[in-house]
Amino acid sequence: MADKTLQLVLVTPETTLLDEPVQALRFPLFDGQAGILPGRAPVVGRLGYGELRVTGSDGENRSFYVDGGFVQVKGSVVSLLTNRAIPVDQIDSAEAKALLEKSRAIIAKGDSEIAAKDRDQERARRMLKLASS
Amino acid sequence: MANARAIVKRRKAVRNIRKITRTMELIATARFKKAMDRATEAAAYTQKIAEIVADLSQGSLKFSHPLLQSRDTVKNSVLLVITSNRGLCGGYNGGVLRKATACIRESESNQRVEVAGKRGINFLKFKGQTIAESYTHFEDRPTFEEAEVLADRYIDEFISGKIDRLDVAYMKFESSSRQTPVLERLLPIGQLAGTGEGEKKSNIDYEFLPSAQEILEEIVPAAFKAQMLKCFLDAAVSEQIFRMVAMKGATENAGEMISSLSRQYNRARQSQITNELAEIIGGMAALE
Repeated sequence: MADKTLQLVLVTPETTLLDEPVQALRFPLFDGQAGILPGRAPVVGRLGYGELRVTGSDGENRSFYVDGGFVQVKGSVVSLLTNRAIPVDQIDSAEAKALLEKSRAIIAKGDSEIAAKDRDQERARRMLKLASS
Repeated sequence: MANARAIVKRRKAVRNIRKITRTMELIATARFKKAMDRATEAAAYTQKIAEIVADLSQGSLKFSHPLLQSRDTVKNSVLLVITSNRGLCGGYNGGVLRKATACIRESESNQRVEVAGKRGINFLKFKGQTIAESYTHFEDRPTFEEAEVLADRYIDEFISGKIDRLDVAYMKFESSSRQTPVLERLLPIGQLAGTGEGEKKSNIDYEFLPSAQEILEEIVPAAFKAQMLKCFLDAAVSEQIFRMVAMKGATENAGEMISSLSRQYNRARQSQITNELAEIIGGMAALE
């Protein structure tokens, strides 16, 4: 019944990065990677940090780094809302390294600070991993 | 002769000014188009956020978040004034600053004033107002990262109870022919966009990952940040429109001035010629 394509809409607060039909996509949810194929049931979810992999309608793979946000699947439209989305080949590994160093240097006191530190480190590591891959 | 020369000089000066104002008008038009594009692109994000909030509200979920709760007594508040770095934009800064000073005068609580834009900083300094923070890095292309830094700080301060209210004075962009200076309360967020009634459109059963409550916790700050960015984008677009209109007026006025100066010059030249002729004829008459 469903069509065989998904419409991916990738928006950041500044601009709409992608709005195109895709075959499949994988992205980081808050607890791990999740994949979406055509015909997915409606869902609203929280994103984590990491790689968004898009298989375009021509079968070509593309990768982005996404920095948290939300996903909404409604019918055949997948909307990803994220603060930042950077194409993988444009990630500045030096910046990511600096971010990691900075987050490691923080001395965290209390639960919320420790959580924030962990989150920052996780973000930086993911970014670094994508930059070097 | 001196009179005619002076008029020529003056006309030349006005011509030069017209050239400058015309160029500024063209630049402002180009910048306005760019800023407008950015603003419309940014609107997609706000719209999506509102959509998700509407989806969440279907789950008959109680909206409770520290950023949504208004406090009974407002002890400390923050007023953020968004003005431009550059002048020559008509009543743009005047309008915003009038709103801001009215707010400062009326406030009963302990108010902290933060200003973006050199024009506003100078004006409030002149008024003798203490400025807690000032920003001059917001140009006509405010980015999300820049706005996020501010938003994060306000969220922290609001949640920890250091501030009870955040107002923003800026030029709201309603349409390209209408912009109004407004004073908006950003914190506490009264109502999230999309929670309004009467919007019973989709009855899709969503699956929430991890849970509706946790998504709400994340989406409230995101909505606030988007709102904050919108203020800056609106201000940037409005500034360019004001400058465009002001410069258009200036160019037209310069044109009028040039034509009136030309008329004056022609008259002066003609009267000079008549004068000289009269002198020559007078001289000849004296010789005979």
